[in-house]
Amino acid sequence: MAWLVVRLAITVSLLYTASAVFEDQVGKFDWRQQFIGKVRFALFDTHSQASKKLLVATDKNVFASLNSRTGDLFWRHVDKTGPEGHIDALLMYGQDAVVVVGNGRLLRSWETTVGGLKWEAVLDTGSFQAAALVGVQDFVKYVAVLKKSAISLHDLSSGSQIWVENLPDSDTVQYQTIYSGGNGLVFVLGFVPNSHIVIVEYKIEDGEIMKKKSVEAAWMSSLENSCAVISSGILLCVDQITQSLYTLPLQSAEQTEMRQIHLQTLDLEVASGFPPVLTSTQPNPAQPPLAEFFLQLSPDHHILLQLKDGLIAPLRDFNPSYLAAFATSGEKTVAAVMSPKNDTACSINLFSADTGRRHLDTTIIYHMDPNGGKPNRLYVHAFLKKDDSVGYRVMVQTEDLTLTFLQQPGRVVWMREEALADVVTMEMVDLPLTGTQAELEGEFGKKADGLLPMVLKRLSSQFILLQAWMAHLWKLFYDARKPRSSVKNEVTIDTLSRDEFNLQKMMVMVTASGKLFGIDSKSGTILWKQYLENIQPNSIFKLIVQRTTAHFPHPPQCTLLIKDKDTGLGSLYVFNPIFGKKSHISVPALPRPVLQTLLLPVIDQDYAKVLLLIDDQYKVTAFPSTKNVLQQLQDTASSIFFYLVDTSQGKLSGFRLRMDLSTELIWEVVIPTEVQKIVAVKGKRANEHVHSQGRVMGDRSVLYKYLNPNLLAVITESTDTHQERSFVGIFLIDGVTGRIVHEAVQRKARGPVHFVHSENWVVYVYWNSKFRRNEFSVLELFEGAELYNSTVFSSLDRPHPPQVLQQSYIFPAPISTLEATLTEKGITSRHLLVGLPSGNILSLPKMFLDPRRPEVVSEQSREENLIPYAPEMPIRTEWFINYNQTVSRVRGIYTAPSGLESTCLVVAYGLDIYQTRVFPSKQFDVLKDDYDYVLISSVLFGLFFATMISKRLAEVKLLNRAWR
Amino acid sequence: MTSPGGQGGGALSTRGGAATKRMKWAIELSLGNSRSRSDRQSKDGDVMYPVGYSDKPVPDTSVQEADRNLVEKRCWDVALGPLKQIPMNLFIMYMSGNTISIFPIMMVCMMAWRPIQALMSMSATFKLLESSSQQWLQGLVYLIGNLLGSALAIYKCQSMGLLPTHSSDWLAFIEPPQRLEIMGGGMVM
Repeated sequence: MAWLVVRLAITVSLLYTASAVFEDQVGKFDWRQQFIGKVRFALFDTHSQASKKLLVATDKNVFASLNSRTGDLFWRHVDKTGPEGHIDALLMYGQDAVVVVGNGRLLRSWETTVGGLKWEAVLDTGSFQAAALVGVQDFVKYVAVLKKSAISLHDLSSGSQIWVENLPDSDTVQYQTIYSGGNGLVFVLGFVPNSHIVIVEYKIEDGEIMKKKSVEAAWMSSLENSCAVISSGILLCVDQITQSLYTLPLQSAEQTEMRQIHLQTLDLEVASGFPPVLTSTQPNPAQPPLAEFFLQLSPDHHILLQLKDGLIAPLRDFNPSYLAAFATSGEKTVAAVMSPKNDTACSINLFSADTGRRHLDTTIIYHMDPNGGKPNRLYVHAFLKKDDSVGYRVMVQTEDLTLTFLQQPGRVVWMREEALADVVTMEMVDLPLTGTQAELEGEFGKKADGLLPMVLKRLSSQFILLQAWMAHLWKLFYDARKPRSSVKNEVTIDTLSRDEFNLQKMMVMVTASGKLFGIDSKSGTILWKQYLENIQPNSIFKLIVQRTTAHFPHPPQCTLLIKDKDTGLGSLYVFNPIFGKKSHISVPALPRPVLQTLLLPVIDQDYAKVLLLIDDQYKVTAFPSTKNVLQQLQDTASSIFFYLVDTSQGKLSGFRLRMDLSTELIWEVVIPTEVQKIVAVKGKRANEHVHSQGRVMGDRSVLYKYLNPNLLAVITESTDTHQERSFVGIFLIDGVTGRIVHEAVQRKARGPVHFVHSENWVVYVYWNSKFRRNEFSVLELFEGAELYNSTVFSSLDRPHPPQVLQQSYIFPAPISTLEATLTEKGITSRHLLVGLPSGNILSLPKMFLDPRRPEVVSEQSREENLIPYAPEMPIRTEWFINYNQTVSRVRGIYTAPSGLESTCLVVAYGLDIYQTRVFPSKQFDVLKDDYDYVLISSVLFGLFFATMISKRLAEVKLLNRAWR
Repeated sequence: MTSPGGQGGGALSTRGGAATKRMKWAIELSLGNSRSRSDRQSKDGDVMYPVGYSDKPVPDTSVQEADRNLVEKRCWDVALGPLKQIPMNLFIMYMSGNTISIFPIMMVCMMAWRPIQALMSMSATFKLLESSSQQWLQGLVYLIGNLLGSALAIYKCQSMGLLPTHSSDWLAFIEPPQRLEIMGGGMVM
């Protein structure tokens, strides 16, 4: 019976919280963009002429098929992260794409039209070296995989292993390449550095070693880029030091030495310090490669050469040229070369591979984005036109991971910004007011200059507003007559303005490649992008909004702190988040490594918040550092504190600012690193508002919340990972005084720990290694029935420790990230947004994570609307805010308040980006989407007319009565 | 022209204008035939009253004098009215329960509003009680009755939880405390 009551109570409480999206709301205020990452392999499907497929494999372990006409994804397979899912090679033949995954662990064949897996073969262990298709008598039947110490041959149609052979002397010889020319033999090429090359010849049928020879090559240090097989099995190598080309026929028995051809005899020279690169092409794996090849001598110098009768002759010299690539269509092989045209554009031309002659009318002009990076990869799709001439399209990948697909004469067919697959941090910035609104705002900002001018100014601005309103009405009327599809107005940077509820914002995204994006949150359109050059791959970024749009006419201002992990030095990049323009504000030089930053609520005379940068000598640099700011800092220095967490020493230290911008250490907490290590520290979000200072109890008394704005949640994990002895610790530390407010230890638990620290609670998730399940734990802090000081909060004056309540729950899924919703005034109830590895985002009401949930239901707990305690946390599919729009590898969730108290803006980012709005307490402050305006207004008008008519009737009746 | 005294006989036969047309016979006692006909015409709409009838009300002065006790009783009725309602209110209170829904709220509002209204119109009631000899006592009783009524209403509000007497009722008005220290920082980057 009691259980029934409990269930009933849960059901009733769920009725309040169930908030799924209706079918007709799909896509109304949410959008998703899917990305693939940096392309490592790209192959065009040349199987049929009309094919639109483009197969790509990326560094994010994604294997996908793109529509080459639109750039959309046909299908996408996201493999495991890290080396386990790393795609080593991509080969394509006909309808099949063969992929080697996980350092040669798996060999998979995919059907390319729908992306179905045809077969998968598990390979023997050993680090992957190379893979190649092997053909016999004009048919490609096999795929050969070369490992460090073995070679195996697999059937292309079934994946079954034909044979596997150990390589001779694999402990001394580095085998790196496979070559097969369709003559029943497979050649494996290896070398011993600075000594000799080893060529092993296998028979395709049974893997028997036909021949093994070693050739003297004392100059050789690497095989991979400097060697290629051309023209009926001739190994060609280039060496930078000797400035020579070397040739060797693979099959000849008599030649035991490589033939040296000095580059000087060809009037060529390799640029110093540049490893030369050889590029050959083998259009059909069952036939020998072409005799033509590219030799890259310097970053912008390619040359097309031909081997004919043992002689190497240059066909065409491309100087300057950035990129060159071969492409084959039917019997014709062409070479596309990208050369600089002027400062902002490159031209791509097509040349016939066998003669080096330029094809007429094949120029594609590629305009380089002034805010982007240089092109670094060129993929060419050649096709035969009706008149048998060769047409082509190209895909260019730039340093900032933009994929641009071009066709003649330079039309951009589509673009993909793959840098967005790796968003590091982001902020949402309010859009500026429209010109008219700003006009009105500006009027209040100006100084009064007499009564009459003020009145006139007011009148004129009101008139402008009226005009704008009339124009708006006219536009509405005009648009209403047009069909709905054509009305859809494009968002551009010029038409940007804040909407009435501030639901549309600018998403400023910082990506790992160093490219910044400004994205309209309503439509997902990229409004600006800026590539920061010379960013080290593992830099740390911190994005700070110093000035919002609220201070017209001062433009909003964002500051990006970029810290190079190797040198430790940081630099600041200041920009306008709405237009993406770099600000011309003088930025302080940072000669010493920056340890942390601190954004103060202190503003300078231009309304920019002051940013303090703490260097490794604990000296502070202020930005901006005007006289005004320094004066303010001196006044408030005694109340500015900061903390630093050094995970390597397990030390938390607190500092106080001195007048002269130096600091003094005031506290230190050491958590011994032998036992446990600090994994994460979080304070509270600066823009968080808490509306209610306490919780109402069943007896209508108040339990006041312990709202310490200086509280830090420190999570530690034990260094001992044995499942019986591992633990997760949580410390709540006051960041001003260093006092440990609370500590808790979760035994037999381990990370990764995800947690949220907000209001008076901390929610954290860990893995319980004893019961092998994920658990949620919630800590809530209360002051008690009395507030100690209701007007001011000072950490230095808190004599009473808070009451701490804790409860834990079982969560039936692993999680990848955790965040809490945030609203303007903090009146709306909170939800937790849980990113699941499945790509769903769960909106979990905080009321389920409430340590006051009673085990036994009482009158008072019912009065308080507390759900009875149940150890299992439910996951209901209606709570998935992104229904079927899953976000692959969700890494972070960003929440921002909107102008409506009920609405919180959510951006989930990972491999994909998903933006939506959530309404934790439903939309209590706006009319519903399906609100029946027609009914209401018709009833209103009906009543109005009924009143009018009955009034008239009553008058007539009264008059008649008076006459009687 | 007519006076009730002078036309005593004529009144007997000629009652109501409609009868003149249907009369079977008539006795004419007045002089001058032609004259009387026109007179009758003018009298046509008038009502002929019975003897001793006066159409003006005659002030009754004898009743006040007659029963003073009745007045006293009536005044006590007025004064005790609010007190008499209390048991009824108690019953309604008991029946309506402590849940907050539209009907109990309406009842409580009525219960609270009626005594307040009565207290506001106290002077009018006093005028009513003017004639009584125990005017002050009755006024006091009336006042007490109404105060009791409103106390009952307040008690009802209290038991329904409508009175802001708990600290939780003022929770929404507590401003978030101002923070004195500025703190920030994080992991060493």
